[in-house]
Amino acid sequence: MTLGEFLANRMGRIALWLICAGLAALFLFSTGTQPGVLVILLLVFLPVFGAAQLWDFYRQRAYLRELEAIWDGLDRKYLFAECALRPQGIYERRLFDLTRRAGRAMTGAVSDAEASKREYREYVERWVHEIKAPITAARLLCRDLDGDTRRKLTGELAQIEAHIERALFYARAENPEQDCLFRQANLGEIASRAIENHRALLIQSGVRVETEHLDVTVYTDEKWAVFLLGQLLQNAARYRSGEPVITLFAMPLGKQIQLVVQDNGIGIPAHELPRVFDRGFTGSNGRSRGGSTGMGLYLCRKLASFLDLGLGIVSREGEGTAVTLTFPAKENLTEL
Amino acid sequence: MQKIMIIEDAPAVREELALLLENEGYLPLAVTDYTEIPKQAQREHPDLILLDIGLPGQDGFSLCAALRKALPVPVIFVTSRDAGLDEVRALSLGGDDYITKPYSVPVLLARIKAVLRRTGGGPEPNDVLEAKGLCLSLTKGVVSAKGKTAELTRNELQILACLMTHPGQIVSRGDLIDTLWDNQIYIDDNTLSVNMTRLRGKLAALGLPDAIKTRRGMGYQL
Repeated sequence: MTLGEFLANRMGRIALWLICAGLAALFLFSTGTQPGVLVILLLVFLPVFGAAQLWDFYRQRAYLRELEAIWDGLDRKYLFAECALRPQGIYERRLFDLTRRAGRAMTGAVSDAEASKREYREYVERWVHEIKAPITAARLLCRDLDGDTRRKLTGELAQIEAHIERALFYARAENPEQDCLFRQANLGEIASRAIENHRALLIQSGVRVETEHLDVTVYTDEKWAVFLLGQLLQNAARYRSGEPVITLFAMPLGKQIQLVVQDNGIGIPAHELPRVFDRGFTGSNGRSRGGSTGMGLYLCRKLASFLDLGLGIVSREGEGTAVTLTFPAKENLTEL
Repeated sequence: MQKIMIIEDAPAVREELALLLENEGYLPLAVTDYTEIPKQAQREHPDLILLDIGLPGQDGFSLCAALRKALPVPVIFVTSRDAGLDEVRALSLGGDDYITKPYSVPVLLARIKAVLRRTGGGPEPNDVLEAKGLCLSLTKGVVSAKGKTAELTRNELQILACLMTHPGQIVSRGDLIDTLWDNQIYIDDNTLSVNMTRLRGKLAALGLPDAIKTRRGMGYQL
């Protein structure tokens, strides 16, 4: 608030005062008061009135500044009314109390929403754990079938599992701190677990996977990294072309380790590339092949930011796609 | 025969698991009464325990601690929860391995074998395979027959090893690819054909040109 703004806001009051003073001067002048006396009166009253305005201005500005400081220091801004100082005037007080009541209603609504979100997440997690028992049984039952049927059924089961995994990680991505556990992990181990998880899809798609220089240590949450890599493998298998080859290799990048997942698939059109990590974005490839949810890469981006992973993608239509995952150096890990 | 105790509350999984282990030459022992499991274990003296953490009414972690106190037996945790903290907790409580549901059958069997071998219960893995006049050294990657030897690549070695462990049987291309993927060789159908041709070439050089027969529409046979 500047002095100009303050005065503009008080324009009515000042005008009223000027009119009153003018009328009083007119009255005094017509009843025979000397003009000199009027000037003296004016010289006395004007500074008093001005000082009162200035005093008001500085008090209000100090109050506003204090409120700003409180706002800046607040973690949850909607608790502002709870922390702010109660103003002096009766009118301001009433307004303030109303705001405070609105704030309290808001706090209640927020905590209700948070509780129901937490409950929902817990339910999803429990459901995921429960569904795994029958899937395990089905996998064991598959063993008795002859080769081809077994492979097909195992493939379908693996698809179900992939969908379930996505649901689980979607629920977890809301509060990743609860699950993240940074440890030393071998990149080769992460890669082979991700490949193992999606082997049915990869084999059925006739994919050859080549792994090179993966025997390096990275600091990450293994489970999340396996999931993330799994999404990339699924995409590479889904959007394959003639003789699909997926190459996984790692290279040091300063203190960081960069993992490259490269395929020779159909690629992504240049104008769609910036949007592939958006939620629900399926693109022309996804639409023409079907079965795309637009969730895989969205989840990847979300998880990658929690894991401090650099995620990049380059692609050329008809030639293939390469996704890079840059694992953080140990020193740079932010505490989760 | 090695005795494996199965502690698992889902009946379908429990029964199938018991069947699977029996077919693999183990003696499965499925627990159906979840009270006083440590005592049951002491009575039966299994060589390995497969323990589901999510048992009804009790905590798998404390059960494991009790089991480890009761007798020195390796424990593999099986769980459908895959929270990282669980794994750390399981291993720090003396679990020997940790596997999450739904597991694939080969992975489970490999883990069981590995733990049994590590704890000294299992037989050493065979280094040398012999079948149909061929002798294959797995660690050296060398096949020999009629006094001649040939060096094999990693892929050829695994293909031949798979055929030699099923002598006389037809092994389908799908099964061969599965076995190779089990060994972290992620090849496709075409690459398998290429490797097979090379392998046959090497066997022919040893004087066994028709050692591997192609059974049209079914697979290969040694």
